[in-house]
Amino acid sequence: MDKDRQKLISELEEKARKIRVLVVKMAGMSDCHTGGSLSMADMLSALYFYTMKVDPQNPLWDGRDYFILSKGHTVPALDAALAIKGFFPEEAVTTHLELDSIISGHACAKATPGIEVSTGSLGHGLSIGVGTALGIRMDKASNRVFVILGDGELQEGSNWESAMSASHHKLDNLIAIVDRNRYQTGPTEAMMSLEPLADKWKSFGWAVKTINGHDIGQIVDTLDSLPFEKGRPSVIISETIKGKGVSFIMNHHMARFNEERLKEALRELGEEV
Amino acid sequence: MAKSFSEVLLELAIDDPRICGVSCDCWGFIAPLAQRFPERAIELGIAEQNLIGVSAGLALRGKIPFAIGMNPFVTMRCFEQIRTDLGYGSRNVKVIGGYGSGLMYGGWGCTHHAIEEIGLMRLIPTMVVLMPSDAYETEQAVRAVAKMDCPAYISLAGGTLPIGKPESERSYELGKASLLREGDDVTIFGTGMTVGDTLRAYDMLAEKGISARVYSMHTIKPIDNETILKSAKETKLIITIEEHTVIGGLGGAVAEVLADAGAGTPLKRLGLQDVFACMVGSHKDVKERFGITSEAIVDTVLKTLK
Repeated sequence: MDKDRQKLISELEEKARKIRVLVVKMAGMSDCHTGGSLSMADMLSALYFYTMKVDPQNPLWDGRDYFILSKGHTVPALDAALAIKGFFPEEAVTTHLELDSIISGHACAKATPGIEVSTGSLGHGLSIGVGTALGIRMDKASNRVFVILGDGELQEGSNWESAMSASHHKLDNLIAIVDRNRYQTGPTEAMMSLEPLADKWKSFGWAVKTINGHDIGQIVDTLDSLPFEKGRPSVIISETIKGKGVSFIMNHHMARFNEERLKEALRELGEEV
Repeated sequence: MAKSFSEVLLELAIDDPRICGVSCDCWGFIAPLAQRFPERAIELGIAEQNLIGVSAGLALRGKIPFAIGMNPFVTMRCFEQIRTDLGYGSRNVKVIGGYGSGLMYGGWGCTHHAIEEIGLMRLIPTMVVLMPSDAYETEQAVRAVAKMDCPAYISLAGGTLPIGKPESERSYELGKASLLREGDDVTIFGTGMTVGDTLRAYDMLAEKGISARVYSMHTIKPIDNETILKSAKETKLIITIEEHTVIGGLGGAVAEVLADAGAGTPLKRLGLQDVFACMVGSHKDVKERFGITSEAIVDTVLKTLK
């Protein structure tokens, strides 16, 4: 059992590393919201390679779990996860932002296979998640809906309309994940404080768990314990580091790498360059 | 006798299990649906942004939500959600302005006037925009959008207009203006609640020997280019009348069609002339003060044609 678990964790860590490598390669090509992409790589690895039911051959499969990236600017990490999962060839990410590429600057459902919802303007994804979860319930189906939100994004009031309605309607098939990297264009707590964040979600009727969003073991255990309470939506506050994995871009919102920086970043991620 | 919105919605929902109702504190509109299919009627409270986002999510799961709020709020507060989540997102959601089209709220204040609803909704690529004038056109509009796979906005209307024909002899085609009176001198386009004004103006003009052609422009988008250009050719003047700012509304839409075609026929746009209708009084009082009446149509015709 322990051995299996260790194997799983190693595999997911490797997938997360690979997601980061592809993100960094995209940042080597063009402007890229690198920091917030790297911070959620571990969570995406666990979601796409462990928890969620998806079919890369049939992205609109009726039985799929729905994933909504509400922080749509960090789509490079999602593109990377989708490519590794097999929704499209990995080489596609090297066309990031090129003419007519399927790899867009913000999440675009029309461009990229596997992207469920087009996002980019903050504060939209959770409401769409609530609606999807309600629709699933109408169908008496067991699909789940995962929404990743930025922490700075929670400054948008619309999120709290969604949060209120999710608990009112007892949507325990809805899971929000806050990528709590504590940095927007500047430090989040200094710009507009969110604390006490867990209490805010609790008071809106959600079941809350706060975890280290870079500890795959903790992520896996947390995802395994969903829903945290029957009849309540679950929220994971995933404490992360913006730019995780590349030391010289910690807390950078956007980063584009020149050739030298790109090599340096790839080396830090264990690539041979 | 035309069915009310909520009766039609229930009827459509019986035939199509994907249809559901989502309310932003407008429960009355989906109460009959809720009675029959409780799980398909959702109340979200006073939260327009969430109304549209949730509806987009329902559509993502393959449902056809009718999302109902009050006209001024459901077109303005959540404009970006309609534009991005429904328009850009290509979600099959029908947004319903349930209460308070145009200046209907009269003296209750400018917060409750929907004088930008047409302009805002028609700005959004792929959005279908409907302004029925009475219960008959409302029922037809609801049936028509239910069959289309695209986002749409309907500003609801009720009541009966003195059209002069029983409902069984009327016809409705989305995208095609309804001819209500025939005439050769002037064309009058009303939409939503101003169609009643156009019918009264027809009679008043007839007494003065002027023959007016009257249309209900129940579809603002896609606009009926053909009818507008035909009227420009066959009559000497075109009048539009709307409880809306003339910028970007029905008048704006008609002006665009005329200008694009190089039609030189004079156009007079009655409506709010870049002002808020800020006053206390009834719906009728507000319309009178801001020149959105049958009398204003007649005055404009007489001045322009003399």
